Amino acid sequence: MKRIKLQLCGIAGLLYAFLYTPIAVVMVYSFNAAKRGTAWKGFTTHWYTTLLDSPEKLLAVRNTLILGLVSTGVSTVLGTLLGYGLARHSGKARNFVSWSIYLPVMVPDIVMAVGMLMFYSLVRDWLGLFQLGLPTMILAHITFQIPFIALVVRSRLAGMDPTIEEAARDLGANPWQRFRFVTLPLLFPGILAGAALAFTLSIDDFVVSFFTTGPGATTLPILIYSSVKRGITPDINALSTLMVLASILGTLTVTFFQKRWRHDNSK
Amino acid sequence: MRHILYLLLPLVALLTTDCSQRVPQLNIFTWSEYLDPKIISEFEQKFGCRVVLDYYEDPESMMAKLASGGSSLYDIVVPSNSNLPALIKRGLLASLRAQNIPNLNNIDSRFSDTPFDPGNQYGAPYQWGTTGLYIRKSPGTTLDLSWALVFDPAKAAGPFLLLDDPRSCIGAALRYRGRTLNTTNSAELKEAGAILASAKKRSLGFEGAVGGRNRVLSKGASMAIVYSGDALRGMEEDPETLYFIPREGSEIWLDSLSIPARAPHRDLAENFINFMLDGRVAARSAEYTRAATPNKAALEFISPELLKNPAIYPPPEVMQSLEYAADLADLNQLYDDLWTHIKAD
Repeated sequence: MKRIKLQLCGIAGLLYAFLYTPIAVVMVYSFNAAKRGTAWKGFTTHWYTTLLDSPEKLLAVRNTLILGLVSTGVSTVLGTLLGYGLARHSGKARNFVSWSIYLPVMVPDIVMAVGMLMFYSLVRDWLGLFQLGLPTMILAHITFQIPFIALVVRSRLAGMDPTIEEAARDLGANPWQRFRFVTLPLLFPGILAGAALAFTLSIDDFVVSFFTTGPGATTLPILIYSSVKRGITPDINALSTLMVLASILGTLTVTFFQKRWRHDNSK
Repeated sequence: MRHILYLLLPLVALLTTDCSQRVPQLNIFTWSEYLDPKIISEFEQKFGCRVVLDYYEDPESMMAKLASGGSSLYDIVVPSNSNLPALIKRGLLASLRAQNIPNLNNIDSRFSDTPFDPGNQYGAPYQWGTTGLYIRKSPGTTLDLSWALVFDPAKAAGPFLLLDDPRSCIGAALRYRGRTLNTTNSAELKEAGAILASAKKRSLGFEGAVGGRNRVLSKGASMAIVYSGDALRGMEEDPETLYFIPREGSEIWLDSLSIPARAPHRDLAENFINFMLDGRVAARSAEYTRAATPNKAALEFISPELLKNPAIYPPPEVMQSLEYAADLADLNQLYDDLWTHIKAD
């Protein structure tokens, strides 16, 4: 038994190393004093200070955050409603809606991106709306985030005991009160997990953003992509390190709140 | 709850219409590291506007972006001579109204009446240059200044990179064999394709624009096919490197400033072009990009060392061996197919 445990630890260790070594290398080289190449020329934090001087990078950070927060906010609300409706209501359209949610999840990113671009062009020719820029990117991100949140919420609801809600109804709560005081608190960790997933999908997204972006709406992944094509300099490493740290911080925050929520609710 | 959702639709419509009338804005779509930021901020101050810059690394993504809605997004785009005819034919560019751009008279006569844009109707010449080889010098060896360094397996001087530009690369292989850069002879093209395919196998791959030069600088490769302006800046950063035009001849290119067909700020764009064509400003652009200027009024403001540098301004006998990549109308397909084959195999 102990040998199996050792082997398991070994495999797990290798997997973690495979996942995290590239990130570690990026973080270490962000302190490299050499402008180009892989030779280590000394320790410096120069690249982090140049980030503050570069308006285009700061604009990209701002765009990425606005895009992530707004699209996550809207898609969480809509996705939760969709998930709740699918889990708790039956109807003729339910089966169709149920499997059609899987479509944006399974369709390749680039197909979806090109589709959105063509859709925007078509509507722009008729109605003059959808000038490419931050709003069109937000809409595109909401489109692919909603199914993910709906799926997470629906599966969480499926695991929840429906008799609790029935009891609330029997005791005189109307649907809104039922949702607000019974379902929502129980569902909250699931919604939070879905929102965290949606936010991650948004800030990591490159393909859809690249096709729906407009002037002045560059996001960090797009900026890093064009910088890589030109040749990686350590300021990109510095930017990537900050992104990784932000993701780690976000994940820890969500986990902390989930634990606290569960702890508060089990009292 | 439902009412909030009903509000969403008109909100979306409001947010996605073009409402950039607060401060006039100029949207420029250009090659990276190609416009001097100081000149841009001078223009912003002089005309009281805001300039937004978007970059591309290869001409194909620029054309794809313009064709899929970009022509109503951007005010200035920087096509090169090989893309200009295709863009004009597809109606993606607006004609330049010469009465708004008096500085067009500053353009040297060699560049004001080119086969791809006679009379500078659609593009105001910005920079011109050549395509050649950029190598890291290895001391003690005499170099054969020829395309053979890349295309002849026996003469390879180290790991190299090819340029992600179809006409430049195919043209280099054609010139290596003494053919014209614009041949439509399928046997010659097939030969060039075979040479490139074999070079691709021995190379480290394709890199766009400044990518190849940056890898030579970072010692990731010892040779790359690059454009002259980028190579010159590399030479200044690292004197161990050298740019030369191979003796068999090469490509000469001309980049112009153009206005997309449905540009939102056409007048401001024409002011920008006029500003860039001014003698002093054009001289500063040339000093920034280290490419050659097609602007005769700028020549007196450029430092003499740059004017004497044969890598930037080649002597007449070298100029004879340079060709523009011409637009071949329907026969462009031959080059497109060849390039797809080379890249896909």
